[in-house]
Amino acid sequence: MKNFDEFSKPEEYISPMDKHIRSVIRNWAAKEVMPYRRKYDEDWKDHHIIEPAFDKLMGNKGVGLQKALFPPELGGWGIGQSDSAFTVSCALAEEVGRADTAMAVAFMVTYWPLTTILVDPHVNWRLAKEFAPMFCNSDKAVFAANAMTEPQGGADIENMEILGGKTIRTVARLEGDEWVLNGHKLWPTNTGGVSKLFSVPCTTKPGSNDPNDFAMIFVPADTKGVTQGGPYEKAGMAADKNGDIWFEDVRVPVWYRAHGPGMDAQVFREIIPWGLAASMGFICGAMLNLYEILYDFVSTKTYKNKPLKEDDHIASIIGRIAGDIDICRILTYEAARMGDRRNKPYGYPIHSDEVACKMRNLKDFVCDRAVDVFGKAMDVLGPFGADREYDIEKHWRDIKIIQLWMGGKQLCQVEAARYFFNCKTL
Amino acid sequence: MNKALDELFVYPKELVDEESKRIINVVRQWADKEIISKRQEYRENYEKLFTEKSKTLNLTIGLQRLILPEEQGGFGWNNPANAPGIASILTEIGRADAAIGVATAVKYTILAAITMAPNFDKALCDALAPVYCGEELKTFSLILPGMGNVGQDTPLFLGRSILATAEPEGDGYVVNGKNLRPINSGAIADLFCVVCADKVGKPCIALVPGDNANVVRGRTLQETGLNASFNADVSFNNVKIPKSYVISRQGVVEEIYTWLNLLLGGVSVGTGLNFFEMVGDWSETRTIKGGYMMKENPLCASVLADVADEVFTSRLFLYDLAQTISKPNDWGQSGSQRVYTVSQVIGSKIQQNVMRAINRGLELMGSAGYSKEWHVEKHWRDIKTIQSYLCGVGAEAPVKMDTARFFFDCKDI
Repeated sequence: MKNFDEFSKPEEYISPMDKHIRSVIRNWAAKEVMPYRRKYDEDWKDHHIIEPAFDKLMGNKGVGLQKALFPPELGGWGIGQSDSAFTVSCALAEEVGRADTAMAVAFMVTYWPLTTILVDPHVNWRLAKEFAPMFCNSDKAVFAANAMTEPQGGADIENMEILGGKTIRTVARLEGDEWVLNGHKLWPTNTGGVSKLFSVPCTTKPGSNDPNDFAMIFVPADTKGVTQGGPYEKAGMAADKNGDIWFEDVRVPVWYRAHGPGMDAQVFREIIPWGLAASMGFICGAMLNLYEILYDFVSTKTYKNKPLKEDDHIASIIGRIAGDIDICRILTYEAARMGDRRNKPYGYPIHSDEVACKMRNLKDFVCDRAVDVFGKAMDVLGPFGADREYDIEKHWRDIKIIQLWMGGKQLCQVEAARYFFNCKTL
Repeated sequence: MNKALDELFVYPKELVDEESKRIINVVRQWADKEIISKRQEYRENYEKLFTEKSKTLNLTIGLQRLILPEEQGGFGWNNPANAPGIASILTEIGRADAAIGVATAVKYTILAAITMAPNFDKALCDALAPVYCGEELKTFSLILPGMGNVGQDTPLFLGRSILATAEPEGDGYVVNGKNLRPINSGAIADLFCVVCADKVGKPCIALVPGDNANVVRGRTLQETGLNASFNADVSFNNVKIPKSYVISRQGVVEEIYTWLNLLLGGVSVGTGLNFFEMVGDWSETRTIKGGYMMKENPLCASVLADVADEVFTSRLFLYDLAQTISKPNDWGQSGSQRVYTVSQVIGSKIQQNVMRAINRGLELMGSAGYSKEWHVEKHWRDIKTIQSYLCGVGAEAPVKMDTARFFFDCKDI
């Protein structure tokens, strides 16, 4: 094999932009991240080292990726209107994730809430125009967050199929031409003081499981009544800050609601496949980097005075690792294609059970393989496996949280059972 | 959690005598009082408190002298029959902090090569005990054979490259080795135990005082876990040591592996027990699906069952190994091929089990499992670090070959 680009992906489906985007981001990663990423763990609170790299990835003086989803008329690149939006997102997730999965999630979660108002067929032009200058005119990295998880229920909010939002305690009350929000969210990516804009899944009628009572409301972070706590200290993913957010009598214009009764619940369901496909992309990126590091290691270290890779037993382990990477990448792009078929006659809408459940299933599988592959790779490195100098352990710490987020493994399993076996009560 | 750990995680209690149980109980009290009840404070001042708590354990309680003979001022646990008790001690320490557990496990492993019957070396013990097991806390470090580098042709210990040499010179030995990676504490060790090749390539162990000017330490490594261990690569540049500091009896390297597998197994079982306590508390205080206690959901309960299962069987394996070591008349000495192989198999299995237990439990704790505030992530990182070190080469390739060699009489692997 020539290099890690040879791992399988569906060449006939990838975006025309793929090669160019990969090249640009790979250069950025080589220059701005790879030389510094071992210092990121200590930079978790202040982002002194991390922030300049974000500026060069997202801001206008760098690659400018934060505007990519916006329509060209508003200064963006129009990826939201592209037939390859999911596939391009996967490529972005992979390339940034290869360098640092936490940077990848922080950058891509900025897109996440915006997909509800910028991706065909649900473009909300008024909100797009409202928020475009924030993202398209900045030289600095500007982040957004989807403030979803609440203290009492963990993944309950994502379990819309069964709970229908009835456990949500963040409440939006209509007063004149304003929404008034009250509630407490925790753990969203890009909190801890980072975000300029939140989307807030909430309820207009506490305890209701009627989709019409579910709302997605945009809240600029500097709105009166919004309080952000400091970032949590975590096992890894230092470039992704997470914290608490409190909304106390926060007032925003009535038209800051994403779409309205019914459609908000639908677009909330639609963001889930985006998050799942991107998660798989992050994992694939980390796996590609694992392969690079592992290749070098097994070629230069010896067992019984032969290179590790030339020992039959060790070859069986590293062969399985590479095989799993290949399979995971194939599955990831299949998930992306599922998203990109959303508007085709032969596709399913991304709010459908078909897409949500199949993507959760794929994400669960890819994450399981990743947890196993990274653990096994550390074992191959033996006494060097836990050494930060080899970077595999950093990915090992980071990819675990990808398995845990968005409802974690158990929600994926339950949704798969629900879809494939027509379960009624799970 | 309404039941005590020992009621849940049954083990053959008869293997541990009453006197040992008293000491084990003291260590449990140390763990509960000094660390487990003060997790937050311990995390926030880790380096300082790590040393303080280690001193309490080793000096105030006196565990630094646990496996010294009584005539050398020790507790007299220097007989293989004490293996279950020593493993229990390591379990209690591991429940509090795996890094203190690893430092202790390595110290006992090295001392076992000197003090453990029937190979008690009185002269060596008399020379080392006052310096390294006295009134000051001393740190031991172990350097095992492992991977070589392409272009090197090294002597081998059962497939593993021996990267250090110990050769006679005058009335002593000279130890050499470049950029060797200890399993712990390379940056701060007071005494190194190094697996070396003698001049004909036969494996032996050399004890190298850390204050020798020709011991060169690299920068302190940053690792996934066990960071209070302060590991670093070490080079020995013509380090002269007394002749008695080299132990070359048949099977001595195997003995090192046997005790290390037992004692690090004890550490990981202890960590697994504490993780069980933590995830148990979590499952009783969190609700899902709008009101069900997490542990009452069948899917979550099955994950919790996996956690308990892995820790439970690990503890049984641990005492199986301890019992095997404790009965040399039945199974052979700790350096015999049988006991060494059993230790490799069980040592590996325990690390895998505990790692799986934590990985599964983290699935239920979600982001909280990943947050330092909840402390479980430290256990996760520490156990993976122990496991990686024990793997040695290429994901346990030597362990697999040792196992196949013993069970199938393989000759050429």
